[in-house]
Amino acid sequence: MSSQSPLLPDAMPLREALRGLRHVLRKGGETLKETMTVDTLPPPAARLAGAVLREVEAIAKGMDDAASGLAKKVLGNPDPAAPSLHRITGQQDGDLAFAAAFYAATQAVLKRLDAPGLFISEAAARKAFQNLSLPSAPDAEVAAALTLALQDAKALKGHADLTARVTPSAIGPVTLFAVMLWLQSQRPEAEDEAALDAATDLAVALAADITTACTARDPAALAALYAEFASHV
Amino acid sequence: MSDLSHPEYHLPPTNEPLRISVRRLRWFRAAFQKFTQDLGAEIGCVFHLDEPKLAEIFVRWLRAIERQKPADKSARKDYFEFAAGLMLREFTADLPLKALSAPRNVAADSAAAFWPEGYVCTLFCLTVHAAAAEQEFHDHPDVAPAFDDLRQWWSFRENIRQDNGFSVGFLQLLLGHQPNWAMPDVFRARLQHEISEATPRPV
Repeated sequence: MSSQSPLLPDAMPLREALRGLRHVLRKGGETLKETMTVDTLPPPAARLAGAVLREVEAIAKGMDDAASGLAKKVLGNPDPAAPSLHRITGQQDGDLAFAAAFYAATQAVLKRLDAPGLFISEAAARKAFQNLSLPSAPDAEVAAALTLALQDAKALKGHADLTARVTPSAIGPVTLFAVMLWLQSQRPEAEDEAALDAATDLAVALAADITTACTARDPAALAALYAEFASHV
Repeated sequence: MSDLSHPEYHLPPTNEPLRISVRRLRWFRAAFQKFTQDLGAEIGCVFHLDEPKLAEIFVRWLRAIERQKPADKSARKDYFEFAAGLMLREFTADLPLKALSAPRNVAADSAAAFWPEGYVCTLFCLTVHAAAAEQEFHDHPDVAPAFDDLRQWWSFRENIRQDNGFSVGFLQLLLGHQPNWAMPDVFRARLQHEISEATPRPV
């Protein structure tokens, strides 16, 4: 199902690597700040440690900016407007379109869930789509199969903060459900963002049903939820 | 705003029939936000809206209207009114609004002053119902005198503490109809009640 042109380099692995680097730098910076309790040191040592920390932070920020800049500007970041699962499964470069839409939508969903620290793997999303075995099934069934495939492919990595709107064990299933529900919703381009917010809030309201279906690996239960709510986003 | 003659003024625009838009969370939320803001300004009260709670209300309402949807198309108009009552039932089960101050622009013995959150939610349901009834049936529902009777609001607030289904009957009462108080949130029971009311009793 992959349609990467042989004449063009595949930018996704490099983009993914740069995002990984950026993620590690950001997480590492946070961990360092949390771990280094400079305040408890005696004054001369605290001054020295503080200066070192500021230096390390500046280096990390510089590397983060460079990684972000490269990932965004040099390699590009396709951000298609109003993507739909139905259209994506029918198109030639569906794997690339799906992975790009998944990445952009997941970023927004995690932000609304107050869980922005997770790593989103565009490459894992692409692989999950490429391995899809029922592209011509009804949208709800395709979405259910993809949800479980994304979960298996670890398209979301890391741990959510405890301040997130759903429990750490529900964050993965709820996020994936919100994105897949949004991809099935009918909406004009102008309402793309409002629809993604609505899909996220619906997923939070349905968190118990979604988590049960995902834990039991029950595609029929997931498909039933998608069929029930896709037209209500 | 208790005049329901131009309900669309207080709702956001939509290119779809209202019966469709109101069942999309993005429009439902935008409508409730706008309505709360407009009515809040009118009565002189600021509200805090709990958006996750609103989404839960929406999900429960969707499931409730789907569960009782009648197969008989002739019951459609009656079901629209009933669906508005179910919406109020879900609102009052877990109010998504909190008044941050007492309403400044209303009389102390008014329903808005007595229970600002319940007042806004009730008027929202009435307004959505009026707009949908106008679109679907060219009907212009209006509120009954019971709307201005504080004792009805007091009774409403007291009764839903015991059984939240009373909300459905209360909305029906505000629209000038006699509810089946035994089972106000069961559509079939309501239909049977109306049939028995209309049938002449043997002497």
